[in-house]
Amino acid sequence: MHKSFVYVCSVVLLLVGFGMLSPEARAQGSIKLGNLVDLTGPTSDQGKDISQGRIDAVQYFNQKGGINGKKLELVSVEYGFQPPRAVAAYKKFVEEDKVLLVLGYGTPDTEALRPYITKDKIPYLSGSYSGHLTDPKQTPYNFPGGIDYSTQIRIFLNHVKETWTDTGRKPRVAFIYADNAYGRAPIEAGRAYAKEIGVELVDEQIIPTVLTDATSQLLNMKKKDPDFVYINTNTQCVPVVLKDSLKLGLKTTYVVNNYGFDERTPSLAGDAAEGVMGIADVAFWGDDVPGMQTLMDFHKESHPNDTHNSPYMRGWLWVMVAVEALKRTGDNLSGEGVKEALESLRDFDTWGLSQPFTYTPEDHRPTTKARLYTIKGGKLIPTRAVELPRNLAWLGK
Amino acid sequence: MTCGGFRVRYRDDERIFDTHLPVAGLLVLIGALSVVPFIASTYWLDVLNRIGIAIIGAIGLNILIGFTGQISIGHAAFLAVGAYTTAVLEAHLGLPFYLAIPAAALVTAVFGLLFGLPSLRLKGLYLAIATLAAHFITTYVIIHWEGMTGGVLGLLVPTPTLFGLALDSDARIFYVIFACVIPATFFAKNLFRTKVGRAFIAIRDRDVAAQVIGVSLFKYKLLAFSISSFYAGIAGGLMAHHSRILFSDAFTLLVAIDYLAMIIIGGMGSILGSIFGAIFMTLLPEILKLTATSLSGVYPQSFGLIASSRDVIFGLAIITFLIFEPEGLARIWMRIRTYWQLWPYAY
Amino acid sequence: MTEHLVFMLQLLITGIAVGSVYALMALGFVLIFKASSVVNFGPGELVLFGAYVSWATILQMHFPLYIAFPLTLVTSIALGLIIERGVLRPLIGEPIISVIMVTFGFASVIRGVLNMVWGSDTRPFPALFSSEPFHLGPVPVSPVHLWSFVIALLLLGTFSLFFKYSLTGMAMRATADNQQVALSLGISVKGIFALSWGIATVVSTLGGIILGSVRGGVDFSLADLGLKVFPVVILGGLDSVMGAIVGGVLIGVLENLSGGYLDPVFGGGVKEVAPFVILVLILMVRPYGLFGKVEIERV
Repeated sequence: MHKSFVYVCSVVLLLVGFGMLSPEARAQGSIKLGNLVDLTGPTSDQGKDISQGRIDAVQYFNQKGGINGKKLELVSVEYGFQPPRAVAAYKKFVEEDKVLLVLGYGTPDTEALRPYITKDKIPYLSGSYSGHLTDPKQTPYNFPGGIDYSTQIRIFLNHVKETWTDTGRKPRVAFIYADNAYGRAPIEAGRAYAKEIGVELVDEQIIPTVLTDATSQLLNMKKKDPDFVYINTNTQCVPVVLKDSLKLGLKTTYVVNNYGFDERTPSLAGDAAEGVMGIADVAFWGDDVPGMQTLMDFHKESHPNDTHNSPYMRGWLWVMVAVEALKRTGDNLSGEGVKEALESLRDFDTWGLSQPFTYTPEDHRPTTKARLYTIKGGKLIPTRAVELPRNLAWLGK
Repeated sequence: MTCGGFRVRYRDDERIFDTHLPVAGLLVLIGALSVVPFIASTYWLDVLNRIGIAIIGAIGLNILIGFTGQISIGHAAFLAVGAYTTAVLEAHLGLPFYLAIPAAALVTAVFGLLFGLPSLRLKGLYLAIATLAAHFITTYVIIHWEGMTGGVLGLLVPTPTLFGLALDSDARIFYVIFACVIPATFFAKNLFRTKVGRAFIAIRDRDVAAQVIGVSLFKYKLLAFSISSFYAGIAGGLMAHHSRILFSDAFTLLVAIDYLAMIIIGGMGSILGSIFGAIFMTLLPEILKLTATSLSGVYPQSFGLIASSRDVIFGLAIITFLIFEPEGLARIWMRIRTYWQLWPYAY
Repeated sequence: MTEHLVFMLQLLITGIAVGSVYALMALGFVLIFKASSVVNFGPGELVLFGAYVSWATILQMHFPLYIAFPLTLVTSIALGLIIERGVLRPLIGEPIISVIMVTFGFASVIRGVLNMVWGSDTRPFPALFSSEPFHLGPVPVSPVHLWSFVIALLLLGTFSLFFKYSLTGMAMRATADNQQVALSLGISVKGIFALSWGIATVVSTLGGIILGSVRGGVDFSLADLGLKVFPVVILGGLDSVMGAIVGGVLIGVLENLSGGYLDPVFGGGVKEVAPFVILVLILMVRPYGLFGKVEIERV
């Protein structure tokens, strides 16, 4: 026990020394972006495409000359949806790689890093679209990379109200959401808004993060007979709800949030997907938008054998926004500079991959407009676009 | 080099350090540690901090599993209780951290006592699964008791202050953490010189026989759970301050499994083993990550493949250790040491 | 009043259906334990393996069912043999905690390898069963669930008979009881272990196919369901085939009943934690489960 202590500490010191001397592979004149993804945890199916999209986009932009002549470099870390690993990765990004922006991922990492990025002044472009990240007064360096969950639930409620024809009673809605931070994020906002516009919220059901059977929840919900139901969970779990609902004979229209609904939903849910609606924050693979051809060409060159879904488009989208912000920063390359550049984006055209992005110093919601899609005959058909006003009272909720 | 010992008093037999050299070495180590924050980067300080926290947690778990033979997979739950209690005590009651952490540890100890009750009736696998249940129940409570714990949105931990100095950087927390690690290690080492420690070991080796000779299983099993949870509570409290924001995702079953791996790879029933295991399990993912990141800088398209190999390497590491050195790193260490002590003789 | 009755009936029947899926997963676990006293803490990964391989053979390689299915089974047997030979045999005689950890280890490896080979996308699972619900009175039941119940019962019958009457079955029980004596009586302990792992992985694969069909897709979160196995085997007893089936169904029913009745009271999420609370309660009263063998310790 005695001498071993000495040996132990010398080993530890050696490691510390090694760490400090580790080569700083900083190519001269390259701009680094941090890239956090989950490739082994519960959301790894999205993570794979998101990561691929980001990597491809960076390669593409570098081929086109980079940013004002400098090459873009992604420092990628896989964190398995575990916050401590995200924090460790972030510290490395800031200390050693000196990144100018972090391409974040989901709710756990975004939440865990909130105190740090504000202190270090590093903009965080996240895949988590929680409404809590939209208020610059509370989270000045967080930039959700898409229409926030609370606005989405409000769009849902608006759609219900606007398409409701029965003047005899108010429309009845229910929320089904996952028992985690992401699932619960917009519920409070949804409750408040439903009350505000006169839509009756009759039920809320909670489902676990990993779902195999929703029968008991749906049976309870059936008693309240809602006309419309909003589902706020992941793509993998939505089909279970839909299939169980079909089995139990529930007569309700489902609307799913952006992360629960994509090209795979019809094939995963089969017949149960018919008539289901979803909110889209990005274009789907093969959609007729200007940027799609570029993506598809690049993709065909690099890895033609993979299939891609909307998370891939998100990866491209976020890199595009980051690149634009970096271009506008000019020579003032610092976290603060990038933040200000992001806040100067007004109706920034993302090649049609999403609605135009606008960030302002008072409002970090990129957009309040989204397209609703309906699944008909196994295909995703765009139905209508809904835009909500940028109500400042909703910031941060 | 010493060659065998010559002792005339019982007191000498019980000493932790036989000669003066290890004491000197220890002082050098402590001195070196105090200087580290001034020269290391934040990243490595963060790693060292996590190692420190892991050491405390691992020692606690080893006391329970390695020394007393009670299998528990609920360690993550105890860490969570320690972490959240600390945060709540500070945020809602305004206690300073040097009171909050010990208080939280006491609460965790009581908690551990409660969840240790099944150990009085259950053994082996059944006990392991009961502790698994404890884990899930605790996670459920944390998520749903939103008033206290912030539920899924997380709880911001207030920054600890000492004499007006805000301890908000890794360098400063480092001192707090290692100020806890050193006494924790010594306390544990000392524990096994005492009656209580020997009772634990007796329970592990043959609990029925221990009971026959008068070791109260009731008292000592519960004590083992309490002490182990106390350690977990301290580790949890330090973790709260280190990560500054707490939420339930940080305390998954994987955490408990990581700690189990630490003590098994490090060596069960050995304090030094806990330390080795903690270092190993914390560094392994870091090294893998560094390799993955630097490789993906060169070959960006390979990122996905390398990242997913992490699980494979982790699993293989565990399997390899268990097959080739079931008594862990501590045993390997002993062999190296014995070799040098006896050199050039073979035995 | 009938509405309440129908509600409860629906919960009950769904519970039995869902429970039979758990039972299948638990059966894999019990078989291994029964024959080799090894605790497998990675049942989820074995199920995952089964689901992925069946997906791959049917949808990726486009084999017709009568080739794909046997191929899947053969692959899972191979996996079982590899695990037994490579990982568990060197650990015979080590303390139980080491064995538990090693199962975590290879669960991790399986997961990693699956990730590396097939990536982590959610893949739609081939529709092996029709989605038209089958009506049991007023209660709709999906064919998948019905099938899993039938399969579970079949396996229960087969294995009960196997362990009771066949020579190999008895040899397995003998090995689990006392390896040394079994060896001295000429039973090939190695062969028994290999066989038990092979069977167990096959059963897990069946579980994986069912789960894949229920969810509509395969992805990595399937493995997390493996933890549900533990309340089942504790309830039913670690080494009881009957216990696995009964335990599985019971847990399924309890889950659904608590979900149906307690969720509205507690605001949701109870369904997930209820099995574990029940688990603890059962263990306090019957430490070896409902059907488990009571271990007699001698000093």
